[in-house]
Amino acid sequence: MSRGTGAGYDRHITIFSPEGRLYQVEYAFKAVKASGITSIGVRGKDSVCVVTQKKVPDKLLDQTSVTHLFPITKYLGLLATGMTADARSLVQQARNEAAEFRFKWGYEMPVDVLAKWYADKSQIYTQHAYMRPLGVVAMVLGIDEEKGPQLFKCDPAGHFFGHKATSAGLKEQEAINFLEKKMKNDPAFSYEETTAISALQSVLQEDFKATEIEVGVVRKDDPAFRVLSTEEIDEHLTAISERD
Amino acid sequence: MGDSQYSFSLTTFSPSGKLVQIEHALTAVGSGQTSLGIKASNGVVIATEKKLPSILVDETSVQKIQLMTTNIGVVYSGMGPDSRVLVRKSRKQAQQYFRLYKEAIPVTQLVRETAAVMQEFTQSGGVRPFGVSLLIAGYDDNGPQLYQVDPSGSYFSWKASAMGKNVSNAKTFLEKRYTEDMELDDAVHTAILTLKEGFQGQISGKNIEIGIIGADRKFRVLTPAEIDDYLAEVE
Repeated sequence: MSRGTGAGYDRHITIFSPEGRLYQVEYAFKAVKASGITSIGVRGKDSVCVVTQKKVPDKLLDQTSVTHLFPITKYLGLLATGMTADARSLVQQARNEAAEFRFKWGYEMPVDVLAKWYADKSQIYTQHAYMRPLGVVAMVLGIDEEKGPQLFKCDPAGHFFGHKATSAGLKEQEAINFLEKKMKNDPAFSYEETTAISALQSVLQEDFKATEIEVGVVRKDDPAFRVLSTEEIDEHLTAISERD
Repeated sequence: MGDSQYSFSLTTFSPSGKLVQIEHALTAVGSGQTSLGIKASNGVVIATEKKLPSILVDETSVQKIQLMTTNIGVVYSGMGPDSRVLVRKSRKQAQQYFRLYKEAIPVTQLVRETAAVMQEFTQSGGVRPFGVSLLIAGYDDNGPQLYQVDPSGSYFSWKASAMGKNVSNAKTFLEKRYTEDMELDDAVHTAILTLKEGFQGQISGKNIEIGIIGADRKFRVLTPAEIDDYLAEVE
C-alpha cells in the first residue's frame, strides 16, 4: 500500500508533487482529451447553445443511445465531454441533486448552483485519496430567472466559471482561440447557435452531416432545455453552407 | 473519513523531520495569484489579482474574495476549489457559534477553527493538505484584525502580509510603505500600488478584487467602478 511521502505515489493518488501540482488531476484532463471529441458552448443575449461531435464507432450501435447531452431538469442541460461512464454517473447524481433541490426549496435549481455543486464534488475527489477525479468536463446551461442565459464550465480540478463562450475536449485550445478572436474583434459579439456550429466546423476543419453532431439549446422565450432534432440541425448546416 | 484502505496519513515525516506534503502544498500556494492584506488603524483591506484564463470567461461570475460572516472576509492564494471548502466549513462554524452563544464569533476564534480544519487534513487518513493560504480580515470588539493561515494550519496575526507569486517583492514593498497610523483609504491605495508592482498587463477594476472592512463592521467587496476610482486617484 502507498506510504505517501510522494515517493512515486504522487502519480497514483491525489497528493502533492514536489512542484506543488496534483498529477492525478492533470491526468484526468488528459483523459477528457483522449475521448477524441470536441465540444463548444456559447452564450448569446437570449439563448445558450452547446454543440458536440457525435462519433459512433460501430455501425451496429444504436446511434440514439450514443449521447453526451443530457437534460438534468426540464430547464437545465449538461454537456459532458470525456469518459462516457463517468459522464453517466455524474448525470445520475446531478438529476438527483436537482430534484431534491426542487423538493426542498420549492423552486428550480439555478444553473450556477448546479455548477457549484458539481465543482465542489470534483474538489473532494482531488483531496481524498479513495476516489479518483472524474474524467469529465461538464458544461451546464440554462436560463436564470434573474441573470438571464447562463453557461458554466466545470472541470476535474473543481474550477468553475461562467462563460460567454467556451470549449472542451480534443481541440479545446484551437476552439477557444477561434472564439476569442471573434470576441476581440467585437466585444459586444453575441454568440448564437450558428456561431457554435460553424466554430466547431472551422476548428475541426470538416463539414458535418446532421447525424454527426449534437446540439442543445435553451432560449429565454422557451426556457426548456431542448436537444435539436436532425432536421433542425440540417437547417442550420444548410444556412451555414449557403452563407459561406 | 474515506475508505478503510486509506486509514493512514498520507502526510508523514521524512527522515529529516519534515512534512513534505505540506512543503509541496506551500509550493502550490507560491505559484498562485498574488494576494495581500493591510491592517489600518480604522479597518482592514484585502486584495488579490483576478487573472482569468480567457477573455471568454464572464468575470461577473467569479468572486475570489468571500464573506465568512458579515464582519469577517477572506481572500486566498493557491487552489481555488480548496478555498471553497474552507469558506463553506468556516461559515457553518460561525453560525454554530452564534447559535450556541447568541453572539457574533470573534475573529480569533474563527481563525482558530479554520486553522484546525487545515491541520486536520495534514494528519487525517486518506486526504491531502489544502493547497491554499488564507488571509482573514475582520473587525470585532478587539478592533481591526488580519490573520494569515497556511496549509499546515499555523496562523499569525499580521500588520500587513502578502502571498502567492510575487510574495517577496510585495512584502518588501509593504514593509517600506506600512505605517502604524495608516487609515483605511491610505491602506487601499497602498494595496493597489503593491499589486501594481508585480502586475503583468493593464491593471483595472476588472482584473483585481478588493475587500474592505471599517469601523462599521460590515465587510464588503468593492465594485469594479469603485476600484477604478481608487486607481484613478493612485495615478
